[in-house]
Amino acid sequence: MATAATAQALTTGAEGAAPTSKVVEAIAAAGLAAAGISFTLALRGDISGQLGEPLVVAMLSVLLTLSYVLCGLLAWWRRPANRFGPLMILAGFTNFVATLVWAKHDVPFTVGQAIDFVPPVLFLHVFLAYPDGRVKGGFTRALLAAAYATAISLELVRMYYGGFGTHNLLEHGANPGATQAVQKVQLTLISAFCVVGLGVLVVRRLRHGRPLRRSPSLLVDVFGVGLVMLVLLFLSAAYGGPWVPQIRWATFVTLTLAPTVFLIGLLHERLARSALSDLVVDLRGDLTPSDLREALARALRDPSLDLAYWLPQFDTYADVDGRPVDLVELGAGRATTLIDRKGVRVAALLHDQSLGDEPEMLGAATAAAGMALENARLQAELRARLEELRGSRARVIAAGQKERQRLERNLHDGAQQRLIALSLELNMLEQRLEAEPEAQVRLDQARREIALSLAELRDVAHGLHPAVLSGHGLEVALQSMVARAPVPIRLLVDVHGRLEEPLEVAAYYVVSESIANIGKHAHASSATVDVRRSEGQIVVEIVDDGVGGADTERGTGLRGLADRVEALGGRLRVWTPAGGGTRVKAELPCA
Amino acid sequence: MRVAIAEDGVLLREGLSRLLGEAGCEVVAQCGDADELLVKVRSYPIDVAIVDIRLPPTHSDEGLRAALEIRAQHPSVGVLVLSQYVELGLAMKLLADSAEGVGYLLKDRISDVKDFVSSVRRVADGGSALDPIIVSTLVSRQRDDDPLANLTPREHDVLVLMAEGGSNQGIAEKLVITTRAVEKYVSTIFAKLGLPSTGTESRRVLAVLAFLRA
Repeated sequence: MATAATAQALTTGAEGAAPTSKVVEAIAAAGLAAAGISFTLALRGDISGQLGEPLVVAMLSVLLTLSYVLCGLLAWWRRPANRFGPLMILAGFTNFVATLVWAKHDVPFTVGQAIDFVPPVLFLHVFLAYPDGRVKGGFTRALLAAAYATAISLELVRMYYGGFGTHNLLEHGANPGATQAVQKVQLTLISAFCVVGLGVLVVRRLRHGRPLRRSPSLLVDVFGVGLVMLVLLFLSAAYGGPWVPQIRWATFVTLTLAPTVFLIGLLHERLARSALSDLVVDLRGDLTPSDLREALARALRDPSLDLAYWLPQFDTYADVDGRPVDLVELGAGRATTLIDRKGVRVAALLHDQSLGDEPEMLGAATAAAGMALENARLQAELRARLEELRGSRARVIAAGQKERQRLERNLHDGAQQRLIALSLELNMLEQRLEAEPEAQVRLDQARREIALSLAELRDVAHGLHPAVLSGHGLEVALQSMVARAPVPIRLLVDVHGRLEEPLEVAAYYVVSESIANIGKHAHASSATVDVRRSEGQIVVEIVDDGVGGADTERGTGLRGLADRVEALGGRLRVWTPAGGGTRVKAELPCA
Repeated sequence: MRVAIAEDGVLLREGLSRLLGEAGCEVVAQCGDADELLVKVRSYPIDVAIVDIRLPPTHSDEGLRAALEIRAQHPSVGVLVLSQYVELGLAMKLLADSAEGVGYLLKDRISDVKDFVSSVRRVADGGSALDPIIVSTLVSRQRDDDPLANLTPREHDVLVLMAEGGSNQGIAEKLVITTRAVEKYVSTIFAKLGLPSTGTESRRVLAVLAFLRA
């Protein structure tokens, strides 16, 4: 328990600060000294029967201590903010202290023996704290606390009952039976803690696991086998099992190699930081918002990464095109990180859940991209406003269209019908007045007037809205128009049935205005009108063989057409080289 | 002659009914929409159905669909479509297969009672009646080289009346010439345009229209 507290204190104290070179040298020297002491003790001590030759035991204990101390030191130096390095250093020195049991003096022996089982628990601690050195979750913390408590307290109880030779200061009357019973409990409990710890690791991997995103984590996972070894070793020792020496060997080797693997994992994080410096270089260029996404995705090694920009005026997040994005409807395995700049929300990062394990990386990357993010946010806002504007223009045009249709309908059902009925009435009256030719002539004249009015009304109604278009579709409506055109026109319509009314109306007016222009300016001898559906678009194309060189700026005709087309999210283009005819092309998006 | 009328404007429906009644026709059905008309056509022996192209409920193409259905299901019933606009494309739909017993006129034509009644009779008898606007649109269409330029003005007039569905006798009366003279004009026109002669007057309409559209 005391050791755990020290570990906390040490790692907390080290947070954020890189060790100075003096500290590094001192720790390295202390590590070497500790290794030397262990080595000497092992050679001089009476330890055969545990692992074999004293020399081999000495080598292994030295390697174990040095491996943790030096790897930990390297990790601390490279990643000062990470507590994992100090934790490894602590594990190394603790291992050294535990080797003091080989000393033939009372105090070192008693201390070493008291913490004899702390190193295995520390190894468990290291596995659980990878990669940032923090033990996350109340359950895991409780697990480690219990493991430390068991390791130390039961060891003290065992020492109380004796059986450790003459240097044990804590012995009060030898009771070998009790000592053995307690040891069995101790080994079983620590094995159990290791198994639970393994379970925690497995669950964590299953829940957050994206081995593809961080391949060294696979290697680290493999070294979880070290914990399995520990369990096997302890259970064999407690209950007697086969191959105890072999297992002991394998356990030591695995545990000795583990720090190197951890270090590789952390150095990979280091690689990530070089990706981060690439990001900084990228950001110096003139990044488009989609390039920015790519650059962030590369730096954070998450291809699925996406950005949503905060648009306060619209009270929503939006993609770079200004389309709203719902942050609540995230899929499984996805997470969000909010990015603020100078206290103001700028954007949200939508990323793979496993990126959440690297808050420092996330923080660094988003901080580096701050200015570019703000630019992209402004662009998203601009697009959203444009989109809104386009929507309102479409609504204005639609409302106008609706009103014109209503007027046309009123004319059709009202005035036109009444005039026809009136004309009919006059004609029937005329037939009855056979005896009065003068009256007949005047009635006939009146009828002609009405016929003229009807023709004018028909033009007005047609100008308001071509009823044939809503009744019978684009192709039928274009046939008459083309037949009345001032030049021979070849008409091709291939749109597969009826279209949405705004589309039909826009296409109709594009053709109508273009044909009118051909009549007025083009001096053409023929033209083609082609209306076709292709790849989610209605393409309306009018080509003439006239003189070209049309003035596309002057006159409201083309401008009005462009308004209609753009309001539907489409595009109107005109090619009119002098002497090369004129080509009008409208592309209208269509479901 | 038994007539069915489908027209949603009461004023016009009543007027039509009255003028046809006075002309000696028997108006057996006055309908406000297309479904009602189809029921009546199925139930009664009818010579000709007069259909407004714009009928409830949507006032889009209900009338045209009813007309096409009657043409398909009841070939013996003449169909005269009335509209406040005449469109070439719709004429082509109506006359897609044959010009027999079919007419398509602007509503305004009602007021010339004599002409209108004769159109109705013609359609009832299996002839055709096409609005002058349609024919003039076709005749005045811009062409690369105009074969109609070879026709004399009189031949031109005969061609137009022929296209409108006029019978030889009707054309003769309109132009105040003899039917024999009309027959002569017709064969000259066919020869000049390079059309094979066709027998019935309604086939003749189709041939001329096809020529004018080409």
